[in-house]
Amino acid sequence: MLVKAKKSFLQRFYLVEVIKGLGITMRNMLFAPKVTIQYPEERRKYSERFRGMHYVKATNGVENCTACMLCPTVCPAECIHIVAGERPDKEKYPVQFEIDVLRCCFCGMCEEACPKDAIKLSTIYEMSQVTRQVYDKDYLAEQRGNK
Amino acid sequence: MPKCIIDGREAEFTPGQNLVEVAKKVGIQIPFFCYHPALTVVAQCRMCVVEIEKMPKLQTACSTPAAEGMVVKTRSEKVIQAQKATMEFLLINHPLDCPVCDKSGECDLQDFSFKYGDAYSRYTEEKRTYVDLDMGPVIKKNMNRCIHCTRCIRFGTEVAGIHEMVAVQRGNNTEITTIDGRPLETDYAGNYADLCPTGSLLLKDFRFKKRVWFLKRTSTVCEGCARGCNMTIHQDNNVIYRCTARENLEINKYWLCDEGRFNFHYVNAEDRVVEPRSGASAAEWADAIAVAKSAVSGKKLAVLVGSDLTQEEGKLLLEFLPKNFSGAPVFHFGTPGIRSSQEDAAADRILKRKSKTANLHGLEKLGFKGFDSLPAGTSAVLVIRGGRATLPELKGVTTVGLGVFRDSEAQGFAAVLPGASFAEKDGTIVNFEGREQHLRRAINPPGQSKQLPEILMMWANSKGGQNA
Repeated sequence: MLVKAKKSFLQRFYLVEVIKGLGITMRNMLFAPKVTIQYPEERRKYSERFRGMHYVKATNGVENCTACMLCPTVCPAECIHIVAGERPDKEKYPVQFEIDVLRCCFCGMCEEACPKDAIKLSTIYEMSQVTRQVYDKDYLAEQRGNK
Repeated sequence: MPKCIIDGREAEFTPGQNLVEVAKKVGIQIPFFCYHPALTVVAQCRMCVVEIEKMPKLQTACSTPAAEGMVVKTRSEKVIQAQKATMEFLLINHPLDCPVCDKSGECDLQDFSFKYGDAYSRYTEEKRTYVDLDMGPVIKKNMNRCIHCTRCIRFGTEVAGIHEMVAVQRGNNTEITTIDGRPLETDYAGNYADLCPTGSLLLKDFRFKKRVWFLKRTSTVCEGCARGCNMTIHQDNNVIYRCTARENLEINKYWLCDEGRFNFHYVNAEDRVVEPRSGASAAEWADAIAVAKSAVSGKKLAVLVGSDLTQEEGKLLLEFLPKNFSGAPVFHFGTPGIRSSQEDAAADRILKRKSKTANLHGLEKLGFKGFDSLPAGTSAVLVIRGGRATLPELKGVTTVGLGVFRDSEAQGFAAVLPGASFAEKDGTIVNFEGREQHLRRAINPPGQSKQLPEILMMWANSKGGQNA
């Protein structure tokens, strides 16, 4: 059985309801705190633990990495490729250290597994590129991070 | 059989068996570093201590023969404490450079430290360090990691028959080295790396190539000589990284010679022919087979079969060859100077045989005759081999190669049809005692190479050329 709700005249007139709704809109527009920011002029503050662009930490100009392969072992995306080698000042070092960022899922397990405090995820999150980038050793060796 | 009780489990033993072996039989692991079933017992690492009822002090399980009614506890409070103390002492001078060390992942010291040791070290003094001398082409020594188990010294004197490793100095300053720092001479030097419970002695060949936990293992047999030593191929992503000895007390015990250990290099060699060739240029399979067929048709043909092929392949050839090349003489070849199984003999007192191919004895049983020289008037030769057999000199004849060849070997061949090496096929080989063993496929044939049956099938079905 269809029951028709009885509405008063004012409700049926709608104009009052429209003005009420507009009032809410105006209140939010003029007085509520704003959620959006003026990126790129304005930057949001991220947590120190944010997991962004990778880099390989260096101490006194020598990379911390000793090519132990724990990060490629733990990496769920299998995006880290290391080739180990030897040089006079360091018994074992990465000859090649590449991260295929397109495959990386930024889980941060590499950072967690690293026994040498070498691979780090910085808080840099602006990583758009014009080319399909594979981060090679020279790129990663740049000390961009803050960790 | 007499019985003893280990950790509440009744264990049967044969008189004379030591407690480590008896415990292993009932599934109880006793940790040890210096003990090795094939070497004399020295009981100097003190890791295998156990508590035995009615004995006042802890005993080393490796040097204590089991006795009737003995009651042994391997995990009592006293034992656990002693093992923890031993572990702490062993790690005092150990550099703990596992991220750099190639042994990590299969290292006894690492495993037992994790299982029986303490996570924290109380040692704050400086660790002793050594300058390492070169030990020749096979072994890379890192004395800092050594725990003085002396397995290497005992292996040299007792198995390899050469006393080349010695311990100089005493106590904390003990250094394991070769006499006068000479390079290692033995042909069995690779076993030093297998034996070493830490990363002190490592293979130069495998150094930094791969972490061991990435490697997949395939149990197979060495094709280096007629002995047929059992070994394990370690591969990852279709590349063989190393071979290690596999225990077989009736053939090779725990050992493998360097020749067999490093024989795998030709499998992944850069200059291996992996594409079919007609002349010197790469070709399609069908074209290469057509060229090969026309090269041997209408000529006086001889077929050379490498004694590195398996029994299955040999049998197949016995059916294939008479049908396709009727009247052509068939010989087996392998090692220069070794034409038959009578000429095969022990090459040293340990493992090596004179025949440098695995299946000489098997192929002879199938009825292949040894190769001496080509019959007069032969103008074409079909060479079928697995990769190990040494090619005889073939001059002035048209040659077609079927199997594994290096670029330099295949120069001047009319056609090459790339086949599978010992790591890429399953099959049976017969060693010098007549023992049949199985080769197991560890990797896939590289490039366009194919298994022998496939190639023969294509040959038989091909319309190009004409059968001789």
